[in-house]
Amino acid sequence: MNFRKFFAISLSVFLIAVPIIAQDDDASAFPVTIENCGVEITYDAPPQQAITMNQGATEIMLALGLEDSMVGTAYLDDFILPELEEVYDSVPVLSDTYPSQEIIFGADPDFIYGSYNSAFGDEAAGPREQLLDLNIGSYVSPMACADRSLRPEVVSMEDVYGEILNIGIIFGVQDRAEVLIEELQSELDEITEILAEVEEPVSVFWYDSGTDDVYTGACCGAPNIIMELLGVENIFGDVEGSWATVSWEEVVARDADFIVLVNADWDTSEEKIDTLTSNPAYADMTAVEDENWVVIDFSYTTPNIRNVEAVRIIAEALYPDLFEDVEAEATEEADD
Amino acid sequence: MTSSQAGLSSVGVTAPRKKQLNKCIADTRNTYCLLVMTLIALIIISVTLAVMIGPVSIKPLIVWQIAIAQIFGFEGNWSNAEVNIVWLIRFPRVLLAGVVGAGLAVIGVVMQAITRNPLADPYLMGVSSGAALGAVSVLLLGVFSSFGIYALSVGAFLGAIVSFVIVFALAVQHGRLLPTRMILAGVAVSFMFSSVTSFITISDDSSGAARRILFWMLGGLSGARWEDLTLPALALMLGIIYLTAQSRALNALLIGDETATTLGIHVHNMRRKLLVLTSLLTGVVIAVSGTIGFVGLMMPHIVRLLVGSDHRRVLLISSLSGAIYLIWVDVIARTLFAPEEIPVGIITSLFGAPFFLWLMRHNKGSL
Repeated sequence: MNFRKFFAISLSVFLIAVPIIAQDDDASAFPVTIENCGVEITYDAPPQQAITMNQGATEIMLALGLEDSMVGTAYLDDFILPELEEVYDSVPVLSDTYPSQEIIFGADPDFIYGSYNSAFGDEAAGPREQLLDLNIGSYVSPMACADRSLRPEVVSMEDVYGEILNIGIIFGVQDRAEVLIEELQSELDEITEILAEVEEPVSVFWYDSGTDDVYTGACCGAPNIIMELLGVENIFGDVEGSWATVSWEEVVARDADFIVLVNADWDTSEEKIDTLTSNPAYADMTAVEDENWVVIDFSYTTPNIRNVEAVRIIAEALYPDLFEDVEAEATEEADD
Repeated sequence: MTSSQAGLSSVGVTAPRKKQLNKCIADTRNTYCLLVMTLIALIIISVTLAVMIGPVSIKPLIVWQIAIAQIFGFEGNWSNAEVNIVWLIRFPRVLLAGVVGAGLAVIGVVMQAITRNPLADPYLMGVSSGAALGAVSVLLLGVFSSFGIYALSVGAFLGAIVSFVIVFALAVQHGRLLPTRMILAGVAVSFMFSSVTSFITISDDSSGAARRILFWMLGGLSGARWEDLTLPALALMLGIIYLTAQSRALNALLIGDETATTLGIHVHNMRRKLLVLTSLLTGVVIAVSGTIGFVGLMMPHIVRLLVGSDHRRVLLISSLSGAIYLIWVDVIARTLFAPEEIPVGIITSLFGAPFFLWLMRHNKGSL
């Protein structure tokens, strides 16, 4: 767990450092035109009054130090990253879930940023084309385009980086975005370097939610990015889609060595452990027998800046020995 | 001969219409006329109040200044946000609520008359499940995306029409439209479409999908735009005028096919015509509001309990009270859980059902 603290410290150091490093934001780059999910929007200047509609979007904006360009946030899935808490509190929270159009317009936004397509439904911000008519720019995570053919077939970290970079360009802080991406990538490289020592890949069952059926990470979404970076074998890696509903029969038959338990308000990790341990049919699964699992909060498992940290959380649980050594070294270095 | 005379006057074949209207203005003791006047006044008051109420508080005076400024095109001393909220969100939404409420109530009246079934409602011909399938295809599969912001309306309308055509074809036998076959075919087609809708929803891997679909299916007026208003308002106005002109036939149909035939009405033609018309109207309404339950089913009954079953009265009173009802229900839907929205269909039944049950208990004679 010490390593998480180390990560948190390094990220906060970076976040403080970024505004200083990136002081000369290139204002001459405007106007910029960004094509996103089939909607092309030209910005004559960086938006000043942005609203973020989902947690992933909120955290990307805050990580880019854009809190002063924000007039509201919405729909927090669980908790904001501790290192972003202070800046998060400086921006008004419009609603626990999606705010209605009237609330959104009441905040007088010039930019609306959602992680899911649903953020632009009638019961939330309304269609992006309509917002554009009112001179309100918008961005939706490319992994969630309304038009499926515009989504990446297999989601990768590059898509997350692409989103960060686009937001950086729209807000005239491309250099900050590049620094953030570099930071995330080097963090990731560090972990994968350690993981390179692993010889036999373990098989993993990604337990997102469900009791009668199982909602699991399939071939091509954020859970799969994380598993791929971990170098483990996703037992449902052959199933199409980002997530998929599968039967317990298949879960038992495919017998994973390790289980990732996603913790969410609507389906907690305790409930999942209960489900796994209370039914004799599941008791013989290798991972259940040895209680080989790790709990991870839901917000780490959708495509966003937390995915790198997700890799670390699971890697540490999977290979405690490998990471203990590194942690010891890190502490020593810190002591020097 | 005398008995058939009584029958004729009871289904409202006599009584010239224009004279009645003149009498209405002169004679204030006429309770029906008083009711119409009251309801019209209530509509004006409801619209006025409903645009002043909302999760973002704006001074009532500013609301009306903005409205006047927008109509006559001058600038004023208010923020951009206030203009957007009042003129682009609240006004079209309140008016759409009125139009949809009136439409559903009138369609419900006609559906119940032509099927002679008290459980008939605007969604009888499987149109709601067809429209839901259309909406799901737009929301989750991204079809019709070339229609931009109208994709959802287009999808829902086409879905409604497709299901109507199927049910209609199934319900006709030897050139006759049989009410029982209509209801059964409607139910069967509904099940078929619903299962496809559920399958698409359940197969979708994005977490918000089911919620979005549920939201649409429970009906809502959020996201109402001025552009959404023109077609339904026009269609509804023409529809009500035409249907009122057919009051005599509707009265006769409600009594029975034989009576109607005696009165010189071509029952099958009339039923077919009315069914096509109301289903088209339903399609238009559903395209802008999703499926809002209860109003179309219960408003006709409530109105019949109040003014009797003469369609010359029932149609007008239903449309007025349907409009008022939905305007207020939508006010509740957008303010009760602010800053979030809840689907208006939840509220229509939540408040409407107990009221109907109360009314039913106090009118033991007529139901």
